[in-house]
Amino acid sequence: MAVAAAAGAPRNTALRHRRNARTLTAGQLASYRKSIAAAQKIDDDRGYQAWAGIHGLPLPTSCTHNSPLFLPWHRAYLFFFEKALQDRVPGVTLPWWNWTMRHAEGLPPVYTAAKSLDGTPNPLRSSPIPSRGREPGGPSKTTRTPGAEGAPPLPTLSEVNRVLALSDFMDFQSQLEDIHNAIHVWVGGTMGSVATSAYDPIFWAHHTMIDRIWRLWQLRHPGNQPPASLLDRALAPFAMTVRQTLSTNALGYDYAGTTAAASGPG
Amino acid sequence: MVERFVSDPIDLPEREAGAELARADLIFYGVDHSGPSFEARVFINAPSADASSTRDDPNFAGSFCIFGHGGCFGDLGHCDVPTEPLDPFDVRPPHQLIPAAKTVIVTEPFKRLVAPDDTTMTVTVVAVVPGTASNAVLRFDTIRLLTYQ
Repeated sequence: MAVAAAAGAPRNTALRHRRNARTLTAGQLASYRKSIAAAQKIDDDRGYQAWAGIHGLPLPTSCTHNSPLFLPWHRAYLFFFEKALQDRVPGVTLPWWNWTMRHAEGLPPVYTAAKSLDGTPNPLRSSPIPSRGREPGGPSKTTRTPGAEGAPPLPTLSEVNRVLALSDFMDFQSQLEDIHNAIHVWVGGTMGSVATSAYDPIFWAHHTMIDRIWRLWQLRHPGNQPPASLLDRALAPFAMTVRQTLSTNALGYDYAGTTAAASGPG
Repeated sequence: MVERFVSDPIDLPEREAGAELARADLIFYGVDHSGPSFEARVFINAPSADASSTRDDPNFAGSFCIFGHGGCFGDLGHCDVPTEPLDPFDVRPPHQLIPAAKTVIVTEPFKRLVAPDDTTMTVTVVAVVPGTASNAVLRFDTIRLLTYQ
């Protein structure tokens, strides 16, 4: 999916697009970094650390793994986190890390560069972990050990395509969660633990990629969805049910490789 | 917790003659995920496979990854998984550490490594924690082979 607007800014700006982290325009990247940096400075429930803490530490651990709610819960998590970022920078969206490409490069450079384009520290490189969110003796900032010896390789496009071909939701979700797990293991450090992973800014790009693959699966298998018994399950602590996560468009977003726009005659 | 596990020979049911194997799964039940994250490499009919055995090994059948909780951060009893039957009126989310079931699709390796007239097979599971940490992180209850024709 790619979106380009040749005749001015889209009139219907309600639907926003999440884009490939490696192909953001300079302005899109600056806006995203600005939103993360602003959220990292807020020490209450609107701030980055509070949102990261929902996943693991401080207790309670609210994320769902090895669970039939894995994909819906994380879609809700991304949705509400993105809303918190949009409170800082209106219109900003979460980028996705396409870990099926550029394996030699490893993590996207926009997440590893020491500085942002304006010379300030890159907020995507690491993030503070408050004492309440640390494992005993754990670091006060996020760490990574990408591709450490013994780590599983990053997944290939053909591996993802094999998973996308599975038509049953539970089968698809189970195999996609395993790919998801491999990325957490590959990045290592803060990302390698359920308790702390969401403090690392790369967490959000990783999970946005997972959410994108679910969206691609929905397009390939229209009508296939989670079992009916799950649809009205709540996704605590979010005010959302599984059913409410099924349409990204109803949630106001979709996925694009890139987007570009220009002003019209007015 | 162990670093590797070699199953007893698993009795293979007789396969229907002429029927094409559409899919084979190895399902691991009761997998512990309370500790570190790791990859579990799965080998068929390779009882000597160990942490030095790679994906290039001819008996490599696939792997699963565990995204671990990294330990217990609560007070005494916090990470004890309830064993009593669930109260039907208890709508709280399930305990975080209920052991996982992991499915490894092994269709092609199974076709390659298990002959139609074989009566048994073994499964070796090798845990690998990246870096220098101990690999003794593997615990699960049961392996089940499912085939679809």
